[in-house]
Amino acid sequence: MTPAANLAVFFLGAALLGVVFWPRRGLFARGRQGRSLARRVELEDALKHVYNHDARGQTSTLESLAGALEISSTSAVALVDRMQSVGLARVADGRILLTDEGRRYALEVIRAHRLWERYLADETGIDPLEWHERAERKEHKLSREEADALSARLGDPRFDPHGDPIPTADGAVFDGEVLPLTSLAQGERAMVAHVEDEPRVVYAQLVALGVYPGLVVCVASKSEQRIEIESEGRRFVLAPLVAQNVSIRRIEIEEPAGAPVETLASLRPGEAADVVRLSPACRGIERRRLMDLGIVPGTRVQLERRGLTGGLSAYHVRGTVIGLREEQASLIGVVRREPAAEEKRGESAIRAGVLDEDMQ
Amino acid sequence: MSTHTENSPSACAGCQHHIGNLVKLGLDMSKFDYVVALAGNPNTGKSTVFNSITGLRQHTGNWPGKTVARAEGGFALDGRRYKLVDLPGTYSLLSTTVDEEIARNFILFARPDVTVVVVDASHLERNLNLVLQVLSITDRAVVCLNLIDEAERHGRRIDHRRLARDLGVPVVPTVARSRRGIDDLLTTVAQVASGEIVCKPYRLARRSRQAERVVTELADSVEATYPGLSNARWVALRLLDGDAHLEDALRSGELMELTAPAPGVAPAAGARAGSEVLASEAAVARVIETARALRWKIGSEFHDSLTEDLYTEAARIADRATMVGEASGFDLDRAIDNLVTHRVLGFPIMLAILTVVFWLTIAGANVPSGLIADFLIGRVHPWLHSLSGAIHMPAWLAGFLFDGVYLATAWVVSVMLPPMAIFFPLFTLLEDFGYLARVSFNLDGLFKRAGAHGKQALSMSMGFGCNAAGVVATRIIDSPRERLIAIITNNFALCNGRWPTQILIATIFVGGLVPAHLSGLVSAGAVVTVAVLGVAMTFVVSWLLSRTVLKGEPSSFSLELPPYRPPRFWHTLYTSIIDRTLIVLWRAVVFAAPAGAVIWLTGNIHVGGTSVAEHLVQAFDPFGMLIGLNGVILLAYIVAIPANEIIIPTVLMLTVMTAGIAGVGSGSGVMFELDSIADVSQLLRAGGWTVLTGVNLMLFSLLHNPCSTTIYTIYKETRSRRWTTVAALLPVVMGLVVCFLVAQVWRIVAP
Repeated sequence: MTPAANLAVFFLGAALLGVVFWPRRGLFARGRQGRSLARRVELEDALKHVYNHDARGQTSTLESLAGALEISSTSAVALVDRMQSVGLARVADGRILLTDEGRRYALEVIRAHRLWERYLADETGIDPLEWHERAERKEHKLSREEADALSARLGDPRFDPHGDPIPTADGAVFDGEVLPLTSLAQGERAMVAHVEDEPRVVYAQLVALGVYPGLVVCVASKSEQRIEIESEGRRFVLAPLVAQNVSIRRIEIEEPAGAPVETLASLRPGEAADVVRLSPACRGIERRRLMDLGIVPGTRVQLERRGLTGGLSAYHVRGTVIGLREEQASLIGVVRREPAAEEKRGESAIRAGVLDEDMQ
Repeated sequence: MSTHTENSPSACAGCQHHIGNLVKLGLDMSKFDYVVALAGNPNTGKSTVFNSITGLRQHTGNWPGKTVARAEGGFALDGRRYKLVDLPGTYSLLSTTVDEEIARNFILFARPDVTVVVVDASHLERNLNLVLQVLSITDRAVVCLNLIDEAERHGRRIDHRRLARDLGVPVVPTVARSRRGIDDLLTTVAQVASGEIVCKPYRLARRSRQAERVVTELADSVEATYPGLSNARWVALRLLDGDAHLEDALRSGELMELTAPAPGVAPAAGARAGSEVLASEAAVARVIETARALRWKIGSEFHDSLTEDLYTEAARIADRATMVGEASGFDLDRAIDNLVTHRVLGFPIMLAILTVVFWLTIAGANVPSGLIADFLIGRVHPWLHSLSGAIHMPAWLAGFLFDGVYLATAWVVSVMLPPMAIFFPLFTLLEDFGYLARVSFNLDGLFKRAGAHGKQALSMSMGFGCNAAGVVATRIIDSPRERLIAIITNNFALCNGRWPTQILIATIFVGGLVPAHLSGLVSAGAVVTVAVLGVAMTFVVSWLLSRTVLKGEPSSFSLELPPYRPPRFWHTLYTSIIDRTLIVLWRAVVFAAPAGAVIWLTGNIHVGGTSVAEHLVQAFDPFGMLIGLNGVILLAYIVAIPANEIIIPTVLMLTVMTAGIAGVGSGSGVMFELDSIADVSQLLRAGGWTVLTGVNLMLFSLLHNPCSTTIYTIYKETRSRRWTTVAALLPVVMGLVVCFLVAQVWRIVAP
């Protein structure tokens, strides 16, 4: 064979392997998804749909079900029949209602979904945009025992990373009062309780803006077309439609009087600040590591120097020098300290050095 | 003190340790009176303290069911024998990492008679966080205030009496490296163990009002169920924090046992405790129920506020105990940092230092390498043969043992030992001094873009010495994803065993393309190109891994810039030779010896008139030629997997054998090297080698599976067959593909 023919065979072979083994879209991955699983997935998704509609006080009908699951109305009828025959739902006046058994089943699926999201957030490095999609698949595969074991391993978490309560093993759901972000008036302050992860486009926008459960927000200005939010030293604008997908909880928040909260990333060399909070977006081992290093509210941090190649800066924290990347620094909320206030804590051979340098 | 000895030599009245749980953890207490646990943050000199207490009376193993290493040892004082157990180094006991769980469970369930917390005096605030947590679990502790010399050098003096008063436990200042204070420490430990010193450990109370109410409510409930439990409040906190292990301990009654009087004191007491267990099963369920209900009342930041409170308290206590001297006008650490992380000078300084290290390694290793080779191969090898003749050993046995096993081993030792014995100590000196952390700091931006950790710069540099050592060096990367990336890509750092191959082949085939006076320069350029290609591959593959197979692995970043420490030359020399050089060399020898046997056997077992080696070479030849190599090279890479150092000798031996060249070499199956490059060139060309073969061999030498020593080390470090397989197969697949593509393009382009 000529070299050119060799090359052709090689690239053909590589393309073929790709078609067969490509993750999730390849023939191999598709073949693995059996038919019986698909039927169960459909049933469980239907239960979730009805449950969620109930929880929002909406009624579920054949049409809403067909729409939500993207199936034909004939299939929807067959599906509801199936739900009735196994005693999970009943139909009254065209409304689909869950039986107690159906409710329990739905909560189990939701529990598995939210636990898995919590797991992805805390123990893996998976991108936030992928959590929901992955949990949608995993929720059908996790048995009750596996869900309980996962819950125990995660320290029985109470909320998923979007701020939704995780149903307990005995099917209880915590109800807290949450309001849409749009209900806040200008100048009001609240904590984000929940960020809806569907539709994905809106969720992606909120993630990109850094809106997470636990974030403290303040409405800077508000009109029909736009809501301007101020949070941790930055401002961003949300369309009311987007803001609708964010729920808040009113709680008293102790804000350090006067001083605005910024992030550690905004410091300049030699400047010092006190940590006031770690963003909820900082999770899992990342959060543990920072706290182990002593970066907790109340800690005095000073920017010592910037690195030579992009993003890394060295900070003085509790007597040690620690390098943090810019993405990390922007997750740490701080309040700047005036040099005068700094004098009070008589700790500092190191800080004295900085002042000297500044004067030169 | 002596009363204890007389009263109850076997029951050990002063002890509080829980013998059942100790046995479960695999600790043999038959020869010991007391058990002492050693806790502390990482990098506080905890192992130095351990070593200076136990000396050589120690042994290491693993925690049952865990991959975490455990060291234990013993010491005796005033006729009492103490067992010392080194707990994993942790920053805290609050979270759920394996290390923290081990340390926490040991202190809680095994109830050591004394827990010694090693604290770095210059980082008192951060270390006190752990001390406060230990004190909330046990009430028998001693704080070992280590590295006070370093703290003093940085202008900090610690009032250890004040600290002891605030913490409620003894504080002993030490400098473990020079054994200062260690005897004091042991005496204090003995006094706490015997009950002569009674500790009143400081327990944290101040929390937010709402949380405080909840904690108190639960703690009361715990106390009511377990009267006599000394750390009810801590148990309550852990339950609220969702600690599954503790819930299990409550249910199984494990925690209950701890409230009973020490076993063996009086049988009656044990029986009473047993009846209590039965009586309160319902009560246990009630406590757990209460805890679950209360968890919804505390804010979602409960865990954070726990840590915050601990640090606030640690800061307050540290502040009171620290006396800062006059700020000296000149801060040496800062001055050095200004220089080595300087915008303009930083990189040139780094390059200069690394160049010097590599130059010293290469230049310095030549002479000893030659001497060892002369001795082991030039003298001992012929002598062994004449010995075998003298004792009438069968020829096949002598060949198997001396030409196979011995020669491969000797080769590996002579080529590997000298560069490693120079490179590792130099590297360790830079590491101890603190400079390498600054290199990571400077280069992190580059590695970040590839999804990797700045500390990978160090494991990669170490890989230029030896990939197995580079893989071990990735331990400094504390983020799982980035550590795996560093392990899998370490093989792309062209190790010391591959440089000679690169230089030889480049000189013959690439250098041969240009006029003689340019030859040296061009071939050196070719070798450097391959090394740079390796670095580029490191970045590309890191980037790919972090976005595909490894994207699910958790990731975090932290890089501490430790204060500069004057390196301890002899100590470094000793430890780096023991820990790095000899361990790697030993592993290599273990793998090289059988490989030598295999190489000899393939050349000397004949099937149908020709040797196995020739059969194999013929079988591999078509595929080898397709990808621009040949059967000899492929077979050499398979049989010489233990060490890249023996690739060229194996290739020469196989070439002579298969090409049927007479008068060269030392017999079939016997590896050899030629002194003259011209001879090697002639031999290889006679074996059918072309420039393409040379170029592809250089590429394949960079991109092929790691040597078996490295593969084994990867398995030891990751404990995962999956990642070991990925690390072994990924580069060889890449190498085959690259060689194939180069060969086809070469054949199309070249006339």
